[in-house]
Amino acid sequence: MWWYLLKRLALSVVIILLAVAALFLMLHSIPGDPVSIALGPRATPEVQAAYAAKMHLDKPLYYQFLIFAGNVLQGDLGSDVFSNRSVALTLSEQLPYTIALAVAALGWAALVGIPLGCLSAIRPNSWLDRITGIISVGTIAVPSFLVSIWAILLFSITLRWLPVIGAGEEGDILSQLRHLILPAFAVGLGWVGYLARMVRASMLEVMGENYIRSARAFGLRPRTIVFRYALKVAILPTITLIGVGFGGLLSGTVFAEIIFSRPGVGKIIYDMVLARNFPVVQGAVLVTIALYVVVTLIADLMVSWLDPRVRESL
Amino acid sequence: MTALLDIRSLNVDFRTPRGRVHALRDVSLQVPKGKIVGVVGESGSGKSTVIWTVTRLLAANGVVESGEAIFDGQDLLTYPEPRMQEVRGEKVSMVFQDPMTSQSPVLSYGQQMTDILYRRPEPDAEKMRRAVEMMRRVGIPDPESRIAQYPHQFSGGMRQRAGIAMALLMDPMLLVADEPTTALDVTMEAQIIHLIRELQREFEATIMVVSHNLGLIAELCDEVVVMYAGEVVEHGDVRDIFYRAAHPYTRALLECDPAREMTRTRLLPVIPGDIPDLHIKPTGCVFAPRCPKAMVVCRERQPDAHTLEGGHATRCHLLDPGLAEGPVAQAEHTAPEAVSEGPRSSGAPLLEVDHLSVRFRIMGALKARVKGVQEPFVDAVLNASLTLKRGETLGLVGESGSGKTTLGRAVLGLAEAHLGNVTFEGRDVLGLSPAAFKPLRRDMAMMFQDPVGSLSPRQTVRALVTEPFEIHGLSKGRLDEEAERLCDMVRLPLNFLSRYPHELSGGQARRVGVARALALNPKLIIADEPTAGLDVSVQGEILNLMGELQREHGLGYLIISHNLPVVRHISDKLAIMYLGRLVERGDSEAIFARPAHPYTEALVGGVPQPDPDKRRALVSIEGEVPSLASRPSGCEFHTRCKYATERCRAERPGDTVLGDGRIVTCHHPLTD
Repeated sequence: MWWYLLKRLALSVVIILLAVAALFLMLHSIPGDPVSIALGPRATPEVQAAYAAKMHLDKPLYYQFLIFAGNVLQGDLGSDVFSNRSVALTLSEQLPYTIALAVAALGWAALVGIPLGCLSAIRPNSWLDRITGIISVGTIAVPSFLVSIWAILLFSITLRWLPVIGAGEEGDILSQLRHLILPAFAVGLGWVGYLARMVRASMLEVMGENYIRSARAFGLRPRTIVFRYALKVAILPTITLIGVGFGGLLSGTVFAEIIFSRPGVGKIIYDMVLARNFPVVQGAVLVTIALYVVVTLIADLMVSWLDPRVRESL
Repeated sequence: MTALLDIRSLNVDFRTPRGRVHALRDVSLQVPKGKIVGVVGESGSGKSTVIWTVTRLLAANGVVESGEAIFDGQDLLTYPEPRMQEVRGEKVSMVFQDPMTSQSPVLSYGQQMTDILYRRPEPDAEKMRRAVEMMRRVGIPDPESRIAQYPHQFSGGMRQRAGIAMALLMDPMLLVADEPTTALDVTMEAQIIHLIRELQREFEATIMVVSHNLGLIAELCDEVVVMYAGEVVEHGDVRDIFYRAAHPYTRALLECDPAREMTRTRLLPVIPGDIPDLHIKPTGCVFAPRCPKAMVVCRERQPDAHTLEGGHATRCHLLDPGLAEGPVAQAEHTAPEAVSEGPRSSGAPLLEVDHLSVRFRIMGALKARVKGVQEPFVDAVLNASLTLKRGETLGLVGESGSGKTTLGRAVLGLAEAHLGNVTFEGRDVLGLSPAAFKPLRRDMAMMFQDPVGSLSPRQTVRALVTEPFEIHGLSKGRLDEEAERLCDMVRLPLNFLSRYPHELSGGQARRVGVARALALNPKLIIADEPTAGLDVSVQGEILNLMGELQREHGLGYLIISHNLPVVRHISDKLAIMYLGRLVERGDSEAIFARPAHPYTEALVGGVPQPDPDKRRALVSIEGEVPSLASRPSGCEFHTRCKYATERCRAERPGDTVLGDGRIVTCHHPLTD
């Protein structure tokens, strides 16, 4: 187990380093000389040379990369082109909003989707199963930005139940929660259907396994059979799916953050791309990748915690 | 004697897209208190349907049309589900066929066993103590610590012991065992049979055993019920069935069992034909289409039950009173004719395996270094040498995990050999690149273990049998002809060419496998468990077919199997494998007549005989196969050998050549 954790952590670092390298190369493949962009067309060659030396732009590419990678590993993501503010600082302010949104969205989707999938697998082709099927396809098919707009129209403008814009007052948990409801609903809705279908499919498969039949032959309660014997196995692929799908979820939050004008990493990326503020974009993308790697790791660890066979083979 | 379970005229249908399958028709059987009753039948006989009907766990498309299952005075079939739930586990419990798949892989034995005890109003600690006690009772060593383990951490035999412990935990009135030893090796099978018998005496349990294995039934049961195609054709005392079988099906089934045939014949008896399509309710005797003694009346009218002496009864027209002058039989079901033993093995060796070793890495190089493991490998095959001539059959026998399949795969270049040589027709084939090996694969073919699983489910039989030609880019445009030729060869009707694997029976799928192996006229066929999963009545057909093809084409066979009786019938030579080493090699008949290695002796003695008077008092071999990762010192068999001495523990035996040319790796070969 410890060996596995160590191996996975090392692998995560490698993945993040590769991402850093890819980002670095992409940045360099953008046409144009960074010095003339930064100083404007009227800078003298002397000023340009001094700037290049200061920013290490006169050094070979690999040297620039090593500096960049070294800074990233130290938590220094560079500074904002306009305000000269530390990118790491900006992101650390924005990240909690995004994480709160992603967790809330996935959380409610899992709380609804997994039991729905279970119930429809226990009674396949019942009316509940059919309705779940329709809901699933419906929610998967509707894009989250449309859901966001409809949700605003219905709950905020017509019914006036929930606030539309922002993330709520700083320090006021209740207000922040109220502001979280609509975006989390919009982002998570597609996942309800997705999870329900996934859980239903793997539950149906597991319910046909011999050990479920044994549990029934030993007279165990249906509840015990479903939740202890079947779900514990059926949930494993779903956990992996959530881990992998987290990346998609992050891009889902971009829309929600823009539409609801919420602060967050997605919003930052959008705003800074429009402003051509590349250090911030770069830092935000990197943080997103790291987040993704961490979530995948957590998902894998959860699977190995639930399944002794996986634990053993590590 | 009162019957604890009394099944009366049970009729069960399955709804399928193609209409109703009449799976059970008028099935009646009794399980008396304190007895072991065996229900024997081949696949499709409905024996499992009986169990699932009684426990009310039939698949959703199963319908009980009529009948009763009186258990302890009450009809189980009328119970509402919650009440039935109280019966299951508490009064009727089960031992399942495959312990690997019938125990939850993600829950520890402790958890699974305390779950079964949920109805007992006692603290968890007490339940756990009970579970540990039961684990100890079924012979699991060190139950206190092993109870926290998971099924995948147990070996096959131990898993089945744990399965029995789970079934006995609630002290049920009736124990139902569904093929309790089918997934096990011969040596484990003997141990489990012994355990069930012992426990039955101790708990005075009533047991219903369902199996296709006649040996198991003969060793274990007091009474036997024979089923065929959803009907009970005969029932009676175990001796009545095995010595005085009245129904032609029972007789034929007994004749088919290779374990019964003491003389080594080349042709095995078979029951021609297939099990009937049960979509149509049979009008006459259900066995008539395959019966060698069928009369006109058999096809017209269903036979009545005839009671013979002592509760022995059968349903057959041969016993009709009007037929006092005896059956209008065509011919007696004769013993198979002897086959002329032509010039069989001849010439230079076809295949030579010389000191072959295959090892598998068990951990990564870095991890091994960190953990200080010197050799992060296990040796699946160690120093194995074999010779096979043209037209000869070599049987490679061993328990699961003995490395026999790995050896076969290494010969074909499918597993990488670590040391040694493999020579095919005088040419060194080991370590050839896949491209260099490809033309050789035309001469060496493999028959895979699982007949249906090794065929792609989306391809027709035509595509499957001609696939080898396409792989090797041969006979373009003449594929249809080739497909028909191969079908003829394996005697598969030509209309099967357009079928898909799931539409084939086990025997038919096996024929397709044989056809695929034969497609390119190979010289050597490596057959991995060629009859595993086949019914006894079909098994003979495949073995006979293989023998015939060998005589026609001079094929060399390397047969890998754990089934000694089968191997015995078709092999000229035998090699017995234990923990990756060959422990005895030589002429098949000589080895069977007088095993020289104690392990061979145990294997030969481990086969349950279909003869109730030859029940063994003792288990021929105790314990389990040790782990490859920790090989015992000296002779690796010493941990399970009853003749082991100090020398065996300390010193590895060399090869001894006996008078008849046999090679045995033992300090004390059994020669008398």
